[in-house]
Amino acid sequence: MFLFSKSEDSPRLNKLRALSLFATLSPRELKTVDGLLHERNFLAGEVIFDQGDEGQALYIVEAGKVLICRQGQPVEGRIAELEPGALFGELALLDDSPRAAQAVALEHSTLDVLFRADFHGLVETHALIASKISLQLARHIGQRLRATVITRQVRPE
Amino acid sequence: MSRGTGPVVWVGIIATTCLLLVLFKSMLWLVVPFLLALIIYYFLQPATQRLVLQGFPRKTAAAVTGGGFIALLLACAALLFPWLTSHAVGWQDSLSRYVEGGSQLLLRTLAGLEAQFAFLERADLSRNVSAQIGNFTETFAQRYLADLVLTLAAWLPTLLLAPFLAFFFLRDGRRFAKFVANAVPNAFFERALCLMHEMDRTARAYFQGLISLTIIDTLALALGLWVIGLEGALLLGLVCAVMAWVPYVGSVLGCLLVVLVAATDFPADPWMAYGAIIVFVLVRLLDDFVFMPLTIGRSLRIHPLLSVLMIFVGGALAGVAGLMLVLPLLGITMVVGETIGLVVTDPRLQARWAHARRLRARQAAADLQG
Repeated sequence: MFLFSKSEDSPRLNKLRALSLFATLSPRELKTVDGLLHERNFLAGEVIFDQGDEGQALYIVEAGKVLICRQGQPVEGRIAELEPGALFGELALLDDSPRAAQAVALEHSTLDVLFRADFHGLVETHALIASKISLQLARHIGQRLRATVITRQVRPE
Repeated sequence: MSRGTGPVVWVGIIATTCLLLVLFKSMLWLVVPFLLALIIYYFLQPATQRLVLQGFPRKTAAAVTGGGFIALLLACAALLFPWLTSHAVGWQDSLSRYVEGGSQLLLRTLAGLEAQFAFLERADLSRNVSAQIGNFTETFAQRYLADLVLTLAAWLPTLLLAPFLAFFFLRDGRRFAKFVANAVPNAFFERALCLMHEMDRTARAYFQGLISLTIIDTLALALGLWVIGLEGALLLGLVCAVMAWVPYVGSVLGCLLVVLVAATDFPADPWMAYGAIIVFVLVRLLDDFVFMPLTIGRSLRIHPLLSVLMIFVGGALAGVAGLMLVLPLLGITMVVGETIGLVVTDPRLQARWAHARRLRARQAAADLQG
C-alpha cells in the first residue's frame, strides 16, 4: 500500500528540495508538487512574460539566468538578475494583477512553472502542502520587501 | 463575451461546432463511449478528489473509485443477467400490454373527439389510426426487431469501453493535460494553461450539472407520479430523466412512456393518463425555468436564444446524437474559440512567438554559418 511504500529521492526531487519554496516539503509532498510543475526551456533573449501581462503562474529558475527589467529597458530598467533557485512572478499565485515587470531569459534557461489554478487546486486537495508553500512564499515576499525598504533607506529618493 | 471576441470569432465558433457535429456523426462508435466516459468521470471525480484530500495518491484514488465503479457494474450485470433472461418472456407480454393500453387510450380519445366534431367522424379518424397501429404492432417484430437486436449487440462492446475510458481519465487526466501543455510555444503557454483550465471547468460544470439535473428531475417526477397514484414512480422518473438528456425528443418519448404506463395500469380511468401528462408538463416547466438554470444553465454561459437555435442545428446536422452533443460541444468550442481569438488578435504575443522562432532557427543553424 502507498502508506508503506519507501520514499523516492530522485535527482529531480533533490533539485526541487534545494529550492527555497519547496525546502520544507517531504519527499512524498515534493512528488505531488512535481506532478503540477511544468518544465519550460527559453533561449537567450526570449521573453518569458511582459510587464502588464495578466499573471497566471509562478516561475522558478532551474538552470540559466533571467533578467527582470522594466518593459523594453534591459539596461537602464534593470531590476534584478536571477540565478538558479530563484523564483519570480510569485504575486500571480495570489491574484491576477498585471505583471509589474518584464522577464527575459539572459541565457538558455530551464524554468519550472507553477500555474495559479493548480496551486489553488493544491489548497483544496493538499492543504498541508499548500500551507507549507504559502509560508515559504510569504517569507520570500517578506525578504524582498525588507530588501526594498533597506535599498530605499540607503538611496533616499 | 470576452475582450477580443468579435463577430468573426463567433462565426468561427458556430461553424466549427457544426463541422465537429458532422464529423462526430460519422464516428459515433467513438463519440458515444467518450461522452459516457466523461459523464462517469465527472460523476466519480468528487469521490476521487475526496480520497486525494484524505491523503491517498491520485493513482490509488482513481483505482479505488474507477475500479469500484467497474466492479459495481460487473456485479449488477452478473446479478441482473439471470433475472433478465428469466423475465424476458414476461417483458414481451408487458410490452404488448402497454402498447395495447396506449393505443386503447388513443382510440378512446379519438372516439371522444369524433363524437364532438362531425368532420373527424366523416374522416373515419379512429378507424384509420386503429388500422395503422394494428399494422405497425403486427409487423414491428419482423421489420425492426432483428435490426434492433443486431444494433444493440454491435453497440454493447463500444459502450463497455466507457467505464474503462473514465478510469483512465481519472488516473492520467492530469498527465495528459501536462503533455498537451508541453506542445504549446512559450509565448502562448500561460494562455494555453488558462484555456485548459477553463475547458475543464466548463465540461465539469456541464456534466456535474447534468447529473444534478437528472437527480432533481427523477425526484420531482417520482413525487408527482406517486401523488397521482402511479406504481413504480421512482423508476419511471429515473428513466424519463435519463431520456431527457436528449433535448426535446427525449422529453417527448419520456412523456409517451409515462402515458402508456398510466393508460395500461388504469384502463378504466383515462384521467390517470391525463394526470400523468399534467405532472410531466409541470415538471418540464419547472425543469426549463428553475432546475435547468440552477444546474446546467450556470455552467455554459451561452445566450438562451443561441442555445435553442444550436439545438435545432444540432438535430438537423447529426440527429439525436447532435441534439445531445451540441450544447457541451458549443460550450467547449466557445472557450477554445475565444482564447484563440484573443491570441490571434494580440500582436504582442504573435511578435514574441515570431521572435522565439527566429532565435530557435538561429540556434539550430549556429554551426552551419560561415
